[in-house]
Amino acid sequence: MFTLVIGGSASGKSAFAESLVMRLPGQRIYLATMRPWDGECLDRIARHRRLRRDKGFETLERYTDLAGAEVPRGANLLLECVSNLAANELYDPDGGGVEALLRGVDALLERCENLTAVTNEVFSGGASYEGDTLAYLRALAQVNRALAERADAVVEVACGLPHVLKGGPLP
Amino acid sequence: MIFVTGPLFAGKRAYVCRALGLSGEELARRAVWDVQDLAVRAPDLSVLAAELAEREIVIATEVGGGVVPVDPEERAFREAAGRLACLLAERAETVVRVCCGLPQVLKGEPLC
Repeated sequence: MFTLVIGGSASGKSAFAESLVMRLPGQRIYLATMRPWDGECLDRIARHRRLRRDKGFETLERYTDLAGAEVPRGANLLLECVSNLAANELYDPDGGGVEALLRGVDALLERCENLTAVTNEVFSGGASYEGDTLAYLRALAQVNRALAERADAVVEVACGLPHVLKGGPLP
Repeated sequence: MIFVTGPLFAGKRAYVCRALGLSGEELARRAVWDVQDLAVRAPDLSVLAAELAEREIVIATEVGGGVVPVDPEERAFREAAGRLACLLAERAETVVRVCCGLPQVLKGEPLC
């Protein structure tokens, strides 16, 4: 099953996505996409590690080209998060853009039993963006729509609470 | 506690008044709003959430739905506001998200 979880900053989307994966039996893998650029990234990573401590996740870091990630067959994957991955694929020297991102997700869907992907709602704070920000918003929105199309369930999270936009009931 | 959230100018207070049959004065007595502004200055968000949860109606504007700001202080403001909203929603019996004046019940029963 492929579940897409979307929410704004600090909306509780990660904790909710983790709770979904916790309900699944079998191996749990946390596919982390955030490159530790600076102290704030490291704090964020540390916070997420704290959140999922004792939840039985193995952490696999992969910044681009998910198709090349060594994901065991039949695992339950939590991909966190699509918005970082999109930035990596767009702006890293070895990134392959939207196409590589979607190819990567398709490869994961081939291999894993359940994929739960977390993405960001960054589209309701204005429409007057330019340049790289506008290009990024367009790309992430395109990715979100493409993933929602592939997903069996799409859930929007606000203040930690889910609202099912597609599919369901949730596991 | 009833927690009401939603975007800026979505009609959150008007909705609460309508749903519970309150006047503006009654709302001012029974509710507290714009609590998102309290979050970033709070030394402990759980303590703040516990204090706010004593109120009958708590209203917060959702601020986490735009592009992540470049400015670290703005980022911290949004983070704290979002975390506070999660804590309030946990404590609330009812959570309603209002968009263009229309309610979506996220937790509990509709207000009317």
